[in-house]
Amino acid sequence: MTLDNPAFIDELPLGSPSRIVRFRHSLWSRVLGRVGSGVVVLWAAVTLSFASLQIAPGNIVNLLVGDQLPTPEVEAAIRAEWGLDEPLIVQYLRYLWRILHGDFGRSYVLQSDVTSLILSQLWPTLKLTSAALVVAIVFAVTAAVLTAGRRWPRRLASAAELVLVSTPSFWLGIVLLFVFSFTLKLFPVAGDKNFSSLVLPALSLGLSLGAVVSQVLRQGLENALEEPFALTVRSWGCSDLTLRLRHCLRHASLPAVTLTGWLVGGLLSGAVITEQVFGRPGLGKVTVDAVLGKDLPVVLAVAIFSALIYVVLSTLVDLLYLFLDPRLRTRNR
Amino acid sequence: MDLIKHSFRLAAATFAVSALVFSTFNANAAADGPPVQGGSLIWGVETEPATLNPHLNGQDKTKLLLRNVFETLLARTKDGGYLPWLATGYKISDDGKTYTFTLRDDVTFSNGEKLDAAAVVTNFTKLKDPAYSGSASSGPVSRLADAKALDERTVELSLKEVYAPFLDFASGLEIISPASFASPQIKSGGTEITGTGPFILDRYAKGQEIHFVKNPKYQWAPSTAAHRGPAYLDEVTYRFLSESSVRAGALTSGQVNLIEGVSGNDAGLFRDDPEYSYQSALNTGTPYSLFLNTTFGPTQDVKVRKALIAAIDVDAVLKSVYRGERTRAWGITSPVDTQLYDASIEKSYGNDPQLSNQLLDQAGWTARDADGYRTRDGQRLTIEVVQAQATVRDQRDVLLQALQAQAKQKAGIDLTISYVDAGTYTDRRATGKFGSIANSNTPTDGIDIEYHYLPIKQGGSINYSRASAPELLGWLRAAASTLDQKKRFDLYARLQRFAIIDQAYAFPLYEPEDQIAASSQVQGVSFRPFKQLPESAYDVWLSK
Repeated sequence: MTLDNPAFIDELPLGSPSRIVRFRHSLWSRVLGRVGSGVVVLWAAVTLSFASLQIAPGNIVNLLVGDQLPTPEVEAAIRAEWGLDEPLIVQYLRYLWRILHGDFGRSYVLQSDVTSLILSQLWPTLKLTSAALVVAIVFAVTAAVLTAGRRWPRRLASAAELVLVSTPSFWLGIVLLFVFSFTLKLFPVAGDKNFSSLVLPALSLGLSLGAVVSQVLRQGLENALEEPFALTVRSWGCSDLTLRLRHCLRHASLPAVTLTGWLVGGLLSGAVITEQVFGRPGLGKVTVDAVLGKDLPVVLAVAIFSALIYVVLSTLVDLLYLFLDPRLRTRNR
Repeated sequence: MDLIKHSFRLAAATFAVSALVFSTFNANAAADGPPVQGGSLIWGVETEPATLNPHLNGQDKTKLLLRNVFETLLARTKDGGYLPWLATGYKISDDGKTYTFTLRDDVTFSNGEKLDAAAVVTNFTKLKDPAYSGSASSGPVSRLADAKALDERTVELSLKEVYAPFLDFASGLEIISPASFASPQIKSGGTEITGTGPFILDRYAKGQEIHFVKNPKYQWAPSTAAHRGPAYLDEVTYRFLSESSVRAGALTSGQVNLIEGVSGNDAGLFRDDPEYSYQSALNTGTPYSLFLNTTFGPTQDVKVRKALIAAIDVDAVLKSVYRGERTRAWGITSPVDTQLYDASIEKSYGNDPQLSNQLLDQAGWTARDADGYRTRDGQRLTIEVVQAQATVRDQRDVLLQALQAQAKQKAGIDLTISYVDAGTYTDRRATGKFGSIANSNTPTDGIDIEYHYLPIKQGGSINYSRASAPELLGWLRAAASTLDQKKRFDLYARLQRFAIIDQAYAFPLYEPEDQIAASSQVQGVSFRPFKQLPESAYDVWLSK
C-alpha cells in the first residue's frame, strides 16, 4: 500500500484562499486514483494467488482423492467436476470472467458456494477487527495522553505496553478467557451472538496493536508539548488536558495514523488465531483451512476480499490525513 | 451469556415439570432417577464438519453429530456382531456374493418420504458414481456389481466377488432420503438433505455451531439404544471449539453441558470431580504408527527399521507425554476388533536398546559424528518423519519430539520431523521420498489393514511403508474372500507378526481414543458399540 509520507509536509505552501475548492478537488482526484489503483491491486491479488497456488506443491486431483484409491474413473470425474481438464490459461481466464459476474465458484473441500461462504464469514471478521481497532485506538489515546511527558506514569505505561506487545495473542486470549469467562463468568467463551461475545476477542486482538500505537503517539505528543505553540496555549490558561487533547493530539496523530493503517492489515491475519481460540466464525479459519487444503476457489476469493479491504483502508487513511492536517489539503496534485 | 443463562433456567423449569409427570410412568428408573423429557443440550466439539453429507464426509470426529440425522441398515454389537435397525434382517447367499436386506416398513425420512427398497438402492447406486461421491466411489462400494429392489421392502446387493468386509460397509452406509439427491445442497449437506434419525438439522452457522431439533415421529431406535420412541432432548447444539483448553473451560464454567476431546492434562480434572463424568473409548482401526519406508533412505534396510523399533521405550514416552492417559499399541489393528486382533503380539518386542545398537552395527552404521549420530560412509543415519500439519492433534507433535530424543539418545538415530501442508504431503506420498509417515485410521473389519498393507497399486492407498512383499497380497486376498471368521483371524495374525516383528514395516505407538467429559447433570452419554465413536444425542437427557 502506498501511504503518502507525511515527512514532506513541511515543504508544502501553507494557507490558500481557495482551500476548500482545492480540498474537494484533491479529495475527488484521490478517490478516483484510488479506485483505479484498487482495481489493479485486486487483479494482481487474483493473479498472484492463482499463480502461487499452481506453483505450490501438490496436485489438486491427488489432493481431492485423499486417502482413497486413485482410479482413472475417479480422477476423470474430479477433473470434469472442477474444470481441471482445461489448460491453465483457460482455467485462469474463465475464472476472471466468472468473478466479473460475481460467481466465485464452489469450494473443493467444503463443496459449498464460495460467495455465500465468504459473505457469511466476512461480517464476523470485520466486526472483530473493527472492535479490535476501537480497543487499540482508545487504549493508545488514553495511555498516551495521560502519560506523555510524565515521568513515572510514562515508565509504568511503557512497561505495560512492552508486555502487551510481546504477549502472543493466543496466550492473551486464553488468559482473558480463563479470568473473565471461565472464572468470573462475565463473558461467553464462544460464538458471534451479541456484543458481550465480542469483548474478549476484541481485547485479545486489539491490545497489542494499541500498545504499539500508544508508544508512537506518546512520542509525538511529547514532541508537540515541547513546541512553542504549546507554551502559547498554556499562556491562555488552558488546562493541561485540553492542551493535550485539543492541540497536541492532532500533531502527534499523523505518524500514529500511518502506523495504524499498516497494522490493521496485521489485525486481519491476527484474527485467525483469535477466531480459533474463541470459537468465532470468521474468514481466518476458513482461510487457513483453504490454504492448507489447497482449496483454490476459497483462497482466491479470500485474496480478492482482503485486497479489497486493504484498498479501502489505505484510502481511508489517506483521507484521514487530509482532515488531520490542513497543510496537506493545499497540496497541488 | 445472558442468553445462555436464560435458556438454562428455562430448561431447568421444563425438567422440573416433566420430571414430575414422568416419574409416575417410568418404571425402569436408573440410579439417577427416571429420564427427563425435554430440555436443550450444548455440546462442545473439536472438529467442524467439512460437509454435512455423511457419504462425502470422511471425518470420524464429526460422525457424532451426523448420526443424529442419518441412520444405517444394521447396528453393531460390542463384539462386532450385527443387529436390526432400518433393516429387520439380512441374508448372505451361500456363494457369499449376494446380500439381501429386509427393511422395516414403518420408517419415514424427516421430509416425509418413506424408507423403501428403492430409496436404499438409490443410495448405493449414487455412491458408486464418481461424479457424486468422488474418491469414495473407489472404496468398498466399488465391489458392488448391482443393487436392486426386489420388492418394496427387500434390497439385493450383488458383488463381483466375495469380499468379507462388505457387510461392515453396506450395513453402515448412512441412508439419505431420495429427494435429497436432487437438492443443490447435496454435496455440502444442509437442511434439505434429510435422513431418518431422531433429530433434524435445523440450522448451521459455519465456524460457530450446528443446531438440531427433535424428530417427534421417531420410533425405530435399534436395540442397542437405551430407550424407544423420540429422543429425550428437544434440541441439541454442537458448538465448535477447536482448542482443548477452551472446551474444558467452557465446561467447567457451565457454558456447555458436555465436551468431546479432552487432553491428557485435563482428563484427571474431570474424572476425579463428582461434578463431572468422564469416559473414553479406544478407536477402531490401525493405531497411530510410524510407517517405515521400505523403498527410500536408510529404512530400506530391515535392520534399521528393527533397530528404530527396538531403540525406543514407548511406554515411558507415552507416560511422559500423556500422563498415562493413552494406551500403548502393539499391532496392525485396534484391540477393539476382537474378531481380527491377535493380542499375543503384545509385549513381544521393543525397548531393547542393546539389540538396536547391535542391529545398527551389523547394518554398517558404525561411526558417530560430532553430534553423536551414527553415520555410514560419511552419511548420517537420518529418518525423516513426514507429518501433515492438518493432522497434528492430540499432542502428537510432542509425542514425535519425545521419540526423536529417545532415538538419538538410545541408538544414535537422527529422527527428523517435517510438518508439511496438504499439497506437499500429497507430493511426498506420491513420490515416496520420505523416511516415515505417521498415520492412523479407523475403518473396521480389516478394511483398515487393507488400506495400509495392500500393494499401493492394488488398493493400498495409504500403504506408507510401501511394502509389496507377495505374502501380504496373498494373506489379504485370502482374508477378504472368506466369510470364515476363524480363518480371517489366523490370516491377519500371520500378517501382523510378519509386518511388525519380521519386517518392521510399522512401529505402532498408541491407540487413538475419544473422550467425553460432561457435567453430572448430563445422563445417557455413551460410545457406539464396536465403532467406538461418541454416540448421537438420542439417549441423552438432562437431570435436574
